Amino acid sequence: MGFRFNLFLFLIAMLSTPVLSDLILAKVDRRIDLTSQIVRITSVLKVENAGTDVVSEVLFALPEYQSKNLVFMQAFPNGGKGKTKASTTSLPFQVVNPEGMPPALTFYSVSLPKGLSKGESFTFDVFVVFTHSLRPFPEEITQADSQIVLFQDSAYYLSPYEVKVQSLTVTLPSARVESYTKLHNTKHVDSEIKYGPYEKLPPFSYSPIVIHFENNRPFAVAQQLVREIEISHWGNIQVTEHYNLVHGGAQNKGGFSRLDYQVRAHVRGSSSFRHLTAKLPPRARSVYYRDEIGNISTSHLWGDSRKTELEIEPRYPMFGGWRTSFTIGYGLPLKDFLFESGKKRFLNITFGCPIDDVVVNNLIVKVVLPEGSKDISVATPFVVKQSQEVKYSHLDIAGRPVVVLEKTNVVPEHNVHFQVYYKFNTLSLLREPLMLISGFFLLFITCIVYMHADITISKSSPSYLAKLQWDEVQAAIQQFRSSINRCLVVHDKLEASLRDLSRTGDVQSCKAARKAADGSLKELAKELKPLLAFLQSSPQATQLWPKVEELVAKEREMQEKLMLKHSTVVDSYEKKSGVRDIENRIASLQQKLVALRQDVDELLEFLDEI
Amino acid sequence: MAQVAKSITSPVPEGLYPTLSVLMLAIGLIITASFFIYEATASKQYRSLAKELTTGALASLFLGFGSLFLLLTSGVYV
Repeated sequence: MGFRFNLFLFLIAMLSTPVLSDLILAKVDRRIDLTSQIVRITSVLKVENAGTDVVSEVLFALPEYQSKNLVFMQAFPNGGKGKTKASTTSLPFQVVNPEGMPPALTFYSVSLPKGLSKGESFTFDVFVVFTHSLRPFPEEITQADSQIVLFQDSAYYLSPYEVKVQSLTVTLPSARVESYTKLHNTKHVDSEIKYGPYEKLPPFSYSPIVIHFENNRPFAVAQQLVREIEISHWGNIQVTEHYNLVHGGAQNKGGFSRLDYQVRAHVRGSSSFRHLTAKLPPRARSVYYRDEIGNISTSHLWGDSRKTELEIEPRYPMFGGWRTSFTIGYGLPLKDFLFESGKKRFLNITFGCPIDDVVVNNLIVKVVLPEGSKDISVATPFVVKQSQEVKYSHLDIAGRPVVVLEKTNVVPEHNVHFQVYYKFNTLSLLREPLMLISGFFLLFITCIVYMHADITISKSSPSYLAKLQWDEVQAAIQQFRSSINRCLVVHDKLEASLRDLSRTGDVQSCKAARKAADGSLKELAKELKPLLAFLQSSPQATQLWPKVEELVAKEREMQEKLMLKHSTVVDSYEKKSGVRDIENRIASLQQKLVALRQDVDELLEFLDEI
Repeated sequence: MAQVAKSITSPVPEGLYPTLSVLMLAIGLIITASFFIYEATASKQYRSLAKELTTGALASLFLGFGSLFLLLTSGVYV
């Protein structure tokens, strides 16, 4: 395979360049991970101070074709054999432009935790991530072809310092390699290619290598991902993610045969991917997966106490250059992500895309805070573009403040927590229920106003006047009825006092009850007088008047009989007559009273029906 | 973060939302019914505005919270 690429020719005459410092790299161990569409390089550097001055900064160089694709860089002290990435804090670094250096290189200056004096050494790791660094070649493939990509780098570690010993290991997704640059000391074992060890190389040594290999991993690139995180203090954080996905690998040519794909998907569609897995936080609920058409049913969800996994399948297998867009949404429990520290509340949630190995070209994270949030500030572990807007949602008046964070070229390494701080008064929680309450109250007020308002146009028409009079009559009848009913209640009380008397023999309390009844009956009679006068005079009530009159008469008769009965019984008791004797004396009265009561009830019922 | 951050939960336990919604809506609808019965039966002269207003306010209070909890139960987190 005489495939040879010399894309970058570095003619570096370093002899004239002044030496930066007296550092040398005692050992460099590089590992390049090419198993996905993202290129990850971990370099373990052991720096040694060979000069006399104390040095606290080390330069890290990247050629231009790499630095333009650099999306993530991290340097941290190497704590020996064991991987202690999490416990150690990363070393700060910045872009620098030292004088006299070739312009095709970008330099990053890594600050060491403490200065290196003469003879001392320090080991640290530099982890860099590149996107869009694997170039598919050929650029167009048919459905049956595998995707083959090119990767280029230098076999020697490009550094402004002298390197004593170095080695390079390249990890590939499969053992199938079209070609790779062979230098001395090159080994290809399975899916690994090893270069080195090389010893004693001067500064800026460069030897381009090109690896042409098969990579059928999903090249899922989200051209735009909008994540909307909406906080509700009633117990939910709603995350909605709008994806605009494209297969970023070799373009598909020659059409697509569903039959071929269906029969032998692994052979006749190896460069495509058909599903993606999103790792959602634990206790995610009401998960949905849809697009403009509606729900997409090809998804699976399972979870445990540590994570929720959502496997989604787009509507069609994704071949090179094909696009799809869809939306994922899920709710998260409030207590896992929202915290209070001092007077401020803060949201602590991951930044990036939850789907594995997706490169996001343009990520927009919108954090929708509840209405009434103030003093908003954002803390992100990397630089993002920030802005604010307002969103109107359910039951809003002033709108909810939205923090918009934008970042280009986001890789899974950016999937770290960020914080949004804000102040929120708990009483503002009552805004939504108060709105609902006032809405309902308005309805009741409208009813009240409608019932009270007189919306008749002609206020002098005879029918209107008649209606007014009839209303008055009705009101009077109603009052009359209630008065009579109260009279009957007084009668019942008297009867009850008689029953008490027969049980206890307490004449005094019975007399007191009689007195009270007399008083209230007199008052009721006074109340009835104007009503009766009105009903008698009213022309609308002429039909009703006889009934009313009858009722009043019957009630009066009943009152008399009852009083008579009452005095008789009380007298008898005072004279200590026998029980039988008393019963005989009031038997006729009792009969009449029952009959009268029946008549009164009938009349009341008749009036009730009006 | 110097201070210890404590997590924030909803003011009402989320498991209670369905129960609360049914209960408050039922009470609210009963009071609404009594309001309309009063409106329809009491004659114009002897209707008390204060009574109407209090019944309406009480009914709207229960209906408001009831419908809020109904929204929350159905997943519309306001």
